[in-house]
Amino acid sequence: MAEDLNWAVGGEAGDGIDSTGKIFAQALSRAGRHVFTSKDFASRIRGGYTAYKIRTSVDRVQSVVDRLDILVALTQRTIDENLDELHEDSAIIYDGERSWEAEIPEEMNAVDVPLKSLAEDAGGAIMRNIVALGAACEITGFDVEYLDEALEKRFGGKGSKIVENNKEAARAGQEYVQEHYDLDHLGYDLETTDNDYVLLNGNEAVGMGALAAGCRFYAGYPITPATSIMEYLTGRIEEYGGHVVQAEDELSAINMALGGARAGARSMTATSGAGIDLMTETFGLVATSETPLVIADVQRSGPSTGMPTKQEQGDLNMALYGGHGEVPRFVVAPTSIDECFWKTIEAFNLAEKYQTPVFLVSDLAMSVTEQTFAPETFDMDAVEIDRGKLVDDDSVDEWLDEQGRFRAHAVTDDGVSPRAIPGTIDGAHMSTGLEHDELGRRTEDQDERVQQVDKRNRKVETAKETESWDYREFGDEDADNLIISWGSNEGALAEALEYLEDDGIDVRVISVPYIFPRPDLSDEIDAADETIVVECNATGQFADLLEHDTLTRLKRINKYTGVRFKADELAEQITEKLSEEVPAQ
Amino acid sequence: MSSDVRFTDFKSDKQPTWCPGCGDFGTMNGMMKALAETGNDPDNTFVVAGIGCSGKIGTYMHSYALHGVHGRALPVGTGVKMARPDIEVMVAGGDGDGYSIGAGHFVHAVRRNVDMTYCVMDNRIYGLTKGQASPTSRSDFETSTTPEGPKQPPVNPLALALASGASFIAQSFSSDALRHQEIVQKAVEHDGFGFVNVFSPCVTFNDVDTYDYFRDNLVDLKEEDHDPTNYEAAKQVILDSNKEYQGVMYQDEDSVPYHEQHGVTEDMSEIPDGAPDDAMDLVREFY
Ligand SMILES: Cc1ncc(C[n+]2csc(CCOP(=O)(O)OP(=O)(O)O)c2C)c(N)n1
Ligand code: SF4
Repeated sequence: MAEDLNWAVGGEAGDGIDSTGKIFAQALSRAGRHVFTSKDFASRIRGGYTAYKIRTSVDRVQSVVDRLDILVALTQRTIDENLDELHEDSAIIYDGERSWEAEIPEEMNAVDVPLKSLAEDAGGAIMRNIVALGAACEITGFDVEYLDEALEKRFGGKGSKIVENNKEAARAGQEYVQEHYDLDHLGYDLETTDNDYVLLNGNEAVGMGALAAGCRFYAGYPITPATSIMEYLTGRIEEYGGHVVQAEDELSAINMALGGARAGARSMTATSGAGIDLMTETFGLVATSETPLVIADVQRSGPSTGMPTKQEQGDLNMALYGGHGEVPRFVVAPTSIDECFWKTIEAFNLAEKYQTPVFLVSDLAMSVTEQTFAPETFDMDAVEIDRGKLVDDDSVDEWLDEQGRFRAHAVTDDGVSPRAIPGTIDGAHMSTGLEHDELGRRTEDQDERVQQVDKRNRKVETAKETESWDYREFGDEDADNLIISWGSNEGALAEALEYLEDDGIDVRVISVPYIFPRPDLSDEIDAADETIVVECNATGQFADLLEHDTLTRLKRINKYTGVRFKADELAEQITEKLSEEVPAQ
Repeated sequence: MSSDVRFTDFKSDKQPTWCPGCGDFGTMNGMMKALAETGNDPDNTFVVAGIGCSGKIGTYMHSYALHGVHGRALPVGTGVKMARPDIEVMVAGGDGDGYSIGAGHFVHAVRRNVDMTYCVMDNRIYGLTKGQASPTSRSDFETSTTPEGPKQPPVNPLALALASGASFIAQSFSSDALRHQEIVQKAVEHDGFGFVNVFSPCVTFNDVDTYDYFRDNLVDLKEEDHDPTNYEAAKQVILDSNKEYQGVMYQDEDSVPYHEQHGVTEDMSEIPDGAPDDAMDLVREFY
């Protein structure tokens, strides 16, 4: 598989690892190659091991694997951390002039490049990573001109001098390897294509989806890994007349977003971990005041502050059950980066059609991972906007009672009431988190209470019937073995299939983007001999739900190391699990 | 905005359940009159209320309104105003709601200078939960949870506002109807965050900060020749611990509200039927 290259750069936080990786990923994408990136970072700003990994191929790649072909190591730790994944033919680019003595296993290709001095010659030590990129190009026979394009994109704003210096640094690295090593590109011949790809991560896709959906107001409070949604929207949402507020905390953020939504703007907030806990108080208010609001939770390792820069899918129960009382809501969980875009749009439509909170549950792995896509994947012409039962100055009339009061919480067959936004003449009304009557006024009347609770819950029933809560499936439709997953594990599963096929194991994979409501999988589970539910948490929160739905015991694969599933590792675990007797528990 | 709007148009047909004699009646009347006098009508007004006896105000007024969760009314008001600069936003709550659970939001709404009016019905007690100490209770005020008094100095909300960079700080007394209305009106007209701490006596649980107490002790800044545009003079009356004042303490006449600072002018409720025309540019950025 020489075409499938796994590359990484690693060092200490603050070494510019992220931008180095991004530049290389962009260069590969410019060359029409598919790219899938993953990041390993510690919760520190300076110091602490950080790595940026790229898997690239001419075919679509959607997962990481346990193999590393080329490693740019700025520290010894980078080598040590990745020893497991390095192999005989791996090349390690390092700077022998630096104070650390690189200990590189003999069988590997040690490529000692004076990164720092070559960078200094080109204009500054800061460019030593770019020298390394030039070296990597030479080792793999990848045309350094693609790197130029990425450097222009990255540094274009800083003036042509900087761009030129960087290009020179890259050439210096390339030439140094050419002169001093005879690696014959390690057998790589990185094919390029004419395909134009875009390269983006899950949080960027969420932000882009929000803008496409007409989101105009965003309030948030910084927290890893959700912050980059706010960063993406800031500076872009203004182009459409919108605004981002950095609130003083999450309690404020969700309440501001609620205010924006009540005022009629498509509004959103996003957070993670502790932030979601703080927002929980307001979930019920959003639901009872029947406010359309999109709340994104980019999950990370918990509980408490847990491992803030590590992967986990542990908030599913919170999204489903968080908050006191019984709160109708939708929980949508994109399973891939392109779905982050489409499901965000869908979340806005669901929120307005049903006037409920919609949780958009994503996870750290997806949020920081960049992947290449054909631009048409994000076909803006296909974006549909449904604002639901929004009334105007004329249509408000049919919803007024005998005394001319607007029935904002009118009890209807489908559970959805009309919505009047401020400024609509005769639509003035109040809403409250207290139980209320059709007019929004507080009530403790038993009948009215029951009517309103039923009405709110009926929205979910209506949605269950009218929306499609489908799933994606791949693999062998008739296989006896069924694998079910949610969230970002889909990519690794899709690739695990190939490994399993090689071993003669047929599986059918179902990847579910809707947690509530969710598709009924009883028939599929019944039809299978074995069902395994794969998720990044310790207790199997999604498996619990499926067991509850189908009254069947299911096998589980749970990973909670803080690291996402890798395709080859997953294939191995599936094989093992299939041979296990009775499901645990 | 129709000129024939009367303050009673802001009244809902729900009968208040406040105790007879509660200061909140007067506070609310003044607010409704101020809104009507400044040319607003219920269809272009949004009232946000907190939790507490004071928070019930949203139920008794008629306009677009939200009665939220305890302490979070200001963020809701901020969201409404940002999304709809064309809408008049009025926020109301109690001293517990605003200066205890919501104190953080208070500081930040003040410093953001969001263009809205915030009336805090300050009765120096928790009314709805039946008489516990509030952040403005006197240090020796005996309540069910502080039998010997809170033994900590009360918050000075005016000073808190001043320290947070407020552009409008005022105090009024709900039973001095005309003066209260006049002060709230000035807050509504102010371009920015119009903060009014309203003494709104609780006749059931507070027998110290009573109507008589305020009537006898309040000093009206009108009679003191106070210049609210003079920051130093404002500081003096706000930090004066020997007297309690009513009137506008401070007003920055050059105040620029948050939404204007951030160039927000549009009604954000209007969006296209599909993705924006140039949305493919968003994708191309990722080439
Ligand atoms: C999160 C939360 N904590 C506690 C309460 C209970 N609670 C309701 S009103 C109130 C205090 C209200 O005091 P204040 O704001 O001074 O208003 P007043 O009733 O005096 O007008 C409290 C503690 C609540 N509703 N929510
Ligand atoms: S308890 Fe006090 S604040 Fe509450 S309604 Fe009665 S008098 Fe007013």
